[in-house]
Amino acid sequence: MQTALQFGPILVHLDLLLRGLEKTIQLAALSILFGTAIGILGAVGRSFGPRFLSWAVAAYVELIRNTPLLIQLYFVFFSLPLFGFKLSSNMAAVVALSIHLGAYATEILRAGIEAIPEGQIEAAKSLGLSRYRIIRHVVLVPAARAVYPSLSAQFILQIMGTSIVGAIAAEELTAVANNLVMQTFRSFEVYIIIAIIYFVLVQAASLLFAGLGKLMFRWKV
Amino acid sequence: MRTFLGGAGALLAGFVLALSALLPSIATAQSVEDIISRGKLVVAIDTTTPPYGFLDANLKPTGFDIEVANKMGEALGVPVEFVTVTSPGRIPALLTKQVDAVISIFSITPARAIQIDYSIPYAGQSAVVIAPKSTGIKGVADLVGKKVGLTRGTGEDGLLTKAAETNPGIEILRFDDYSSLLQAMVSGQIDAMGGGDYGEIYLKKAQNGDAFEQKYVLKTFYFGIGVAKGNDNLRQWINTWLFTMKTDGTLDALSMKYRNQPLPVLPVF
Repeated sequence: MQTALQFGPILVHLDLLLRGLEKTIQLAALSILFGTAIGILGAVGRSFGPRFLSWAVAAYVELIRNTPLLIQLYFVFFSLPLFGFKLSSNMAAVVALSIHLGAYATEILRAGIEAIPEGQIEAAKSLGLSRYRIIRHVVLVPAARAVYPSLSAQFILQIMGTSIVGAIAAEELTAVANNLVMQTFRSFEVYIIIAIIYFVLVQAASLLFAGLGKLMFRWKV
Repeated sequence: MRTFLGGAGALLAGFVLALSALLPSIATAQSVEDIISRGKLVVAIDTTTPPYGFLDANLKPTGFDIEVANKMGEALGVPVEFVTVTSPGRIPALLTKQVDAVISIFSITPARAIQIDYSIPYAGQSAVVIAPKSTGIKGVADLVGKKVGLTRGTGEDGLLTKAAETNPGIEILRFDDYSSLLQAMVSGQIDAMGGGDYGEIYLKKAQNGDAFEQKYVLKTFYFGIGVAKGNDNLRQWINTWLFTMKTDGTLDALSMKYRNQPLPVLPVF
């Protein structure tokens, strides 16, 4: 079969794709922000909280890490309304994505926390630092610094994870692309274009995360 | 050289013979008499289009279209042989004379009628707007300010997207498949949905499925029985037979059985 690539019919709809890209960036940024916050609270709760909290966090992490993101999206969008929580497509997507990332971030940060040598905490205690300051400055920051590369890799996965929220009718980049495929029947061209857009987006995000890491985790001497 | 070519030719001839034995028998019948004297009616169906054509629990073809085909065989007094095709395979099945007729939600369109001939419509289906009984929706204007769900790339998508362009304020939510769309309707994530007029059958199976009703018709498609171009003998018999099926209520009974509602008014040509 002969195939001639024709990008013209797609590129006239570039504004739609860019609007989709904007939504993708929004979903990724918000869910990374909330997901990281959940991760920090979760990791601290798991390592330093009372036993019941530690178990609750462990249960949350296991529940989320052992079920597909798509099912979590369906649950938030289709099942929660039956219990009276009705969220719009975008809200449901941010909630599900944040809860999803939160579990992974908890686990990654906990790994960093567990790697902190006991002696470091004992040294801080002998210096008379408060419990809050020990957890924050002596444990959490060095732990985050150590696992930051894994964390930013998880953020990248999160950006790409947004591509399935079209399943609950959120019009992000991939959903817009699927609409265009249905209108133009030029699937090959559409997917090439969005692959390029995703590539550029993820490259830019990688640079951003690397820069942020340098800024946040400078060694102070 | 000559012997080589001759040998190659003989080989080729043998190969073609062997190949033709593998090909399905070709339904060369042209007229009604041909079909009766051959002793079978060959019909193209699609088993992936419930409730019109699907496989039952025993993996046997069943559905509205399949019963119409069986009744056609009964009327001719011959058994029916089914050939399963996909929707893009319907016209080629007639062009290559593999089947006598196509009975497979074959919407009547002028573009298709250039290549094949249609009988008068035997069924019709509408793209409709479905919403909870409690919502007052009479037409497109009532959809403004509401969330309307549909399945990406369907006929309803085209019709409602156009409606949303001329009536700003209609929020369209596109789902990837019909089950997600129904789920969104049942869970109240959308205020109304676009779908086939048989959608209520599926909604009724849901927990609060009785709360929904058809609001208005977007567009009606009419299905005809397709025959090879110029096969007026068969087409005229089918039209006459369909006339009797319509007037004695057989088609409406079939529609009630599979679509849970009578057929729309079927214009003739």
